[in-house]
Amino acid sequence: MPIIPIGESGRWTNYHGTGVCEDAVRFGLRSGDAPRGRDEIGLAAAAVREWLEKARVAGKRVRPLGAGWSPSNVNICSDAWLLHTRRFNRCFRIAADDVRPGVDASGLMLVEAGALVDEVSDKLEQQGRSLWTSGAGNGQTFAGAAATGTHGSMVTRGGIQDHIRAVQLVTPAGVHWIEPAAGVMSDAFVAATGSTPVRDDDVFAAAQLPVGALGIVPALVVDSVPKFLVRPIQNLRKVECAALDWLAAGDFRRFSKAYALDRDPDFVQMIVNPYKPFKRPAMLRFLYAEPWRANYDQATPGQLGAGYDALSLLGRLLDDYPWARGALLQFAMKMGYAAGPDVDDPPVHGTWGEGLDTHRPLADLFNASVTIDRADLPHVFELICGVYTRHGGSTAVTLRFMERAQGLLAPARFTHNAVIDFDGPRSARTAEAYARVVELLDREGVAFTRHWAKSCHLDAARVAADYGEDLQRWRAARDRLIPDPAHRAIFGSAVLDGLGLTG
Amino acid sequence: MMWIGWGLAALLLALLVGQYLAGQGDIFVSIANPRPLDEESMVVTLKYWGFAAEARQPFVTPEADHGLCDLRVYTTRRQMLVAIATLGLIRPVTVAWRAHAGIQPLGEA
Repeated sequence: MPIIPIGESGRWTNYHGTGVCEDAVRFGLRSGDAPRGRDEIGLAAAAVREWLEKARVAGKRVRPLGAGWSPSNVNICSDAWLLHTRRFNRCFRIAADDVRPGVDASGLMLVEAGALVDEVSDKLEQQGRSLWTSGAGNGQTFAGAAATGTHGSMVTRGGIQDHIRAVQLVTPAGVHWIEPAAGVMSDAFVAATGSTPVRDDDVFAAAQLPVGALGIVPALVVDSVPKFLVRPIQNLRKVECAALDWLAAGDFRRFSKAYALDRDPDFVQMIVNPYKPFKRPAMLRFLYAEPWRANYDQATPGQLGAGYDALSLLGRLLDDYPWARGALLQFAMKMGYAAGPDVDDPPVHGTWGEGLDTHRPLADLFNASVTIDRADLPHVFELICGVYTRHGGSTAVTLRFMERAQGLLAPARFTHNAVIDFDGPRSARTAEAYARVVELLDREGVAFTRHWAKSCHLDAARVAADYGEDLQRWRAARDRLIPDPAHRAIFGSAVLDGLGLTG
Repeated sequence: MMWIGWGLAALLLALLVGQYLAGQGDIFVSIANPRPLDEESMVVTLKYWGFAAEARQPFVTPEADHGLCDLRVYTTRRQMLVAIATLGLIRPVTVAWRAHAGIQPLGEA
């Protein structure tokens, strides 16, 4: 039996400690030892469907839980049955005869829903392949990261959900195998997973980013690119205001030439102190992709510049001593930034997976973001920093860049996106300052969206306004997968209901 | 002589405060490539300066068949104050751990 009860009913706290499920009954979905992946996920899907039926009969809501990473509490539901998927974490190579004619199977891998981004990276790299983007951390499950549109700052790529080519989804009404209309996996393969094929572009685009409201995802088919190396450059530099124009225009080469190497960067990230963002040094991170070679100068994640979470350590000081916030934040940035190699240091290289790290839970974390059209950056960035600091925002402000991401509910919905993150210690003042940033953007008439997994305080009206017709298409896909409103309610929670995704 | 007494008192107080603060530090042991499950914790109470130990619940975790991923030993402020107030006779310590999810070999779909 792939589903087992875990412990007794009680409290469950999410990874970053931002939410608690009271009276939670916990279950674990476990990998088996079936020789073929299709058989294993078929057994698991049948067990999940049976479990859903038991929950329905018991009158309980359910919540699938991966690493429990999202601070937005989309993973929180009290008086519910929780299904932990972390022990359902096998990955399987896909053969040429598993896919439909014309589909290249060499980059595809079948991934069980509990596999972490780190595990997916490792398994792809074993096969000479790689993810092409991901978030800054690798401790989320791949399915969970995709379900919330997690992203990094690869300037020509979208979100992590862009890797998905097929999704197995279980609802009380059935087990669905969802692909784009053109199809990916062979009919025989899909049949062996015990699933009913749904080949439809809209349903697939909904399932790429389901926000946990479309059912339970036991497995995914993930695409990849040939393994590559990245050379990081990480430094502290005073950035001139005019650089925002270069970034807004997508002239990342010019930005890189000014502050790092005279090459096209693949990844650009800038962390600024919002108190005088152009007078105090910003923390810059560039990655330059290079072809894979076996004899590279391998480095640890720390040497590759993974992580900058030590910023949260000075949270209380920042909140208690408002007059010293600017200086304290700069000190924290200097001390907390992983010492990455600068331009004049000996170059180090790593694979995409080696440059990521799993950080410890960030107690008292505040993290929120706004995603804007990159072209709006010069117009609003200083205004954002100004209003954020005036109202006591006590986090660094991070700028990331990405292209439009796949999925109907992808927050990165502009052709070229700039994502402005407010990540750091939690405090009432910082939350208030972020709310003022949102008001500012509304007042200025700047279109923006917010991250599903962060503490952005979205509501149904705002989601409807932000996503418009795409939300209607997502709901139509949801109703097709889960036609019975009573079944939809099983996947609800206070947070998801509040977002208008489960009604 | 008076100032020697005050000096000794200050030294003892400093020693006590130092123990109070240091006792709240984390002792964290992690393996290189973590695949953690949820964190579980229990309180172990050392009695009579370590001559006896008692856990409030038995050391069992439901999913540890792949071993532990990491382990943290720490004392909360309250636990440290209890230890100081009882002259170390009772010394509660929190042990928190995360079980390992296991590393599965790459299979065939």
